[in-house]
Amino acid sequence: MPRRAFIRARFAGFWAAVLVALAAAFVAPAATFTASLDRNQIVLGESVTLALTFSGGNPQDVPNPPDIPNLDIAYIGPSSQFSLIQGRVSSIVTHNFQVTPRQAGDYTIPALRATVGGQLLSTQPLTLRVLKPSAPTPEAMASGSQVAFLRLVVPKTEIFVGETVPVQLQLCLRREVQGISNFQLTSLPAEGFLVGKMVQGQRGQAQIGNALYSVIPLLLPVKALSAGNLTLGPATASALLEVPSANRRRDPFFERFGFPDLLGGTEQKQVVLASEAVPLQTLPLPAQNRPANFNGAVGTFTLSLTASPTNLTAGDPITVKVQISGRGALDTLTLPEPSWAGFKVYPATSKLDTTDALGLEGTKYFEQVVVPETASVQALPSFTFSFFDPEQKVYRTLSHPPVPLLVRPGGSASVPALAADRHAGQNQSPAQDIVHIKQRIGAVGQLQPLVFRPWFLGLQALPVLAFLGAAVWRRRTEQLANNPRLRRQRHVARIIRDGLAELRRFAAANDSEAFFATVVRLLQERLGERLDAPASAITEAVIEEKLRPRGVPEELLTPLHDLFQLCNQVRYAPLKTSQELSALIPQIESLLARLEEVKP
Amino acid sequence: MSHLRPQPRCLWRALLAAWIGLLCATLTARCQNADFEAANRLYEQGQFAEAAAGYQKLIDAGQASAAVLFNLGNAWFKSGKIGRAVVAYRQAASLAPRDPDVVANLQFARNQVHGPRVLPAAWQRWLGKLSLNEWSWLAGIAVWVWFLLQTLLQFRPAWKRSARGAVIAATVFALLALGGFTAAFADARATRLAVIVEPEVVVRHGPLPESPIAFTAYDGAELRWTDQKDDWVQVSAGPRRIGWVQKSQVALFHPLKMS
Repeated sequence: MPRRAFIRARFAGFWAAVLVALAAAFVAPAATFTASLDRNQIVLGESVTLALTFSGGNPQDVPNPPDIPNLDIAYIGPSSQFSLIQGRVSSIVTHNFQVTPRQAGDYTIPALRATVGGQLLSTQPLTLRVLKPSAPTPEAMASGSQVAFLRLVVPKTEIFVGETVPVQLQLCLRREVQGISNFQLTSLPAEGFLVGKMVQGQRGQAQIGNALYSVIPLLLPVKALSAGNLTLGPATASALLEVPSANRRRDPFFERFGFPDLLGGTEQKQVVLASEAVPLQTLPLPAQNRPANFNGAVGTFTLSLTASPTNLTAGDPITVKVQISGRGALDTLTLPEPSWAGFKVYPATSKLDTTDALGLEGTKYFEQVVVPETASVQALPSFTFSFFDPEQKVYRTLSHPPVPLLVRPGGSASVPALAADRHAGQNQSPAQDIVHIKQRIGAVGQLQPLVFRPWFLGLQALPVLAFLGAAVWRRRTEQLANNPRLRRQRHVARIIRDGLAELRRFAAANDSEAFFATVVRLLQERLGERLDAPASAITEAVIEEKLRPRGVPEELLTPLHDLFQLCNQVRYAPLKTSQELSALIPQIESLLARLEEVKP
Repeated sequence: MSHLRPQPRCLWRALLAAWIGLLCATLTARCQNADFEAANRLYEQGQFAEAAAGYQKLIDAGQASAAVLFNLGNAWFKSGKIGRAVVAYRQAASLAPRDPDVVANLQFARNQVHGPRVLPAAWQRWLGKLSLNEWSWLAGIAVWVWFLLQTLLQFRPAWKRSARGAVIAATVFALLALGGFTAAFADARATRLAVIVEPEVVVRHGPLPESPIAFTAYDGAELRWTDQKDDWVQVSAGPRRIGWVQKSQVALFHPLKMS
């Protein structure tokens, strides 16, 4: 009993505590709303977190910070925290924003307002100072105290307007940096220059002072656009470096063998990098000795040209291929335009083939189709191409001599007059308008492709059928050649066919002698073929000697015998009328047909 | 056999029928030429839309030619309808791929276009030196030559040895021609383009007017035509730029279905 009383007392105490806690929870404390930045001073390229904290209640709407020039504010998300202090439950909800400045300077985030539990609350204004990143001093670089820094390397400090130079932005990393990510070039002031696409070069190592750095070169083609004393840079960038953790476990055993971080222990570090600005003097292109056809090409180039065909008829197209190779701004090169008098000119096409990553070296291929309009054209005009050589500081002109042509007078294929007239005045700018309409309708028809037209498909079946027919014919011919009985059978069939026609003719002519001689011959041929004996060896005697033993029916043997008899009689008394002879023909025909059924 | 000999009356009838046929063909050709000339005249007078209608009438009547399609392209181009011009030039190029005028105007029209274009690969350019009809003729001739040679050898088996070179050459020719034709046909079958024919067209994620906007395309932009649903056409301008446009906003081009 005392034990049960003790347990009951413990339960009563527990429930009392729960009730007190719940009562305390329902007595809500006063709501608060505060705004804070995790840092008030950063370097351009870094970001800070703006936290809007609500305690004692949730806001109706989370206030959005206003738009501030050169400040990017992006919502990250909420976080919440609950605490029980002296029996009182309190909740804290924080809404976080990432603030990224785009320019250095002082910024103020104004007071924000929110309604919490029917109460209008306000924060204090916040200030943020953004400093320009500065390049480390040469001493700092040499000492190896910098974990990473940027260097802007320009091959020369004096360049001409229009000249393109490869600029290197070197990202130098100290040896212990184990990885780099999220590299972003935040700014590269280049007023008076045109900066091209950045290309990463081959990673290498460099000894700077006493320190050994890993160097990642980032190559940029930079073209000077205006003359004067200009400045390139400073370049600024941000990156996430993976460096050994400050409180990592060090193992003296592995350190002895040069593996200090074999057991891991790295941390990521956001860094802002900056390089020094580089002063550059850009010079205008000299006006003296500037060629008339100079069109702004700066660099060192060579020119080559091919044309084909050169022996042709007026109205036929000639393909002119021009290659300009060398170093400079190849992508902006244009085809030198000679005087195309006497030619119909089509728009040129071009293709760029570069040999380096920045696209500063290589070959630009131009292809142009021209059509000599008359046979009086004797040569393609000479091509000249002028450029400014920044190394020698002189203008140079490359030229290709006229290509001789042998143009014969054309027939109907000459260029339509309308099209020719239109281009006559446009020799210098062939691609300013479309080619004029055609004056001849040409071969008209349906647009449906040939392969879907039944007549075309039928036409293709003809040679196949011819081949199949020939193959069947050949097979039958070969069968015949290998079968003498069959061959004789067909031969006899042909003799009988012809013989029957002769019988009709002899009957009409009342020539009984020839008639019956033919009948005997036909019987000999048929019986000889059936009995596999020479036709000349067949006489009336075969009826008894060969046909009857073979079981030939009597109704066939009797008329055959009678016919032989009749033939013998007529030899001695050839007196039969034409009608009588004609009447015999169907009987003979029937007998010959029935004899065909005799088994050989 | 005298019954097979043509009777004078039959001969006269056949001659009359042939003469009437020839007359009809001549009149039709003159009529086509007259319509073509009339459309050309409208073009020269600067009435480009009317000229385009004239050329289109000829095509609808089954009297298309590379010249008619080329002139139609010019008329559309001069009317400011670059997309329709691109389609007409492409159709003309399908019939006359080596015509430098067609190639030049197609290129010129494309240069005016702001947006994607569908350019052929190197092998397609090589195949495109001949039109599909020319490939068809080449393959047809190759088949004829091969089968006729085989037929001849059926009749003259003794020539087999001496004709070995000709047989090998005919076989190689037939294989190449048939291979080229097959590739050209497959390429034509796979080429399905939707060319934008309105100044600015909104391409949407779905085939509904309420669907969100994917991207905007401009007159003359050549997009791949991948699907069709009701009055909507699915187009793509790259692996991640896919959307739907209304059929009335594009001209569809398929080399096998140009009629």
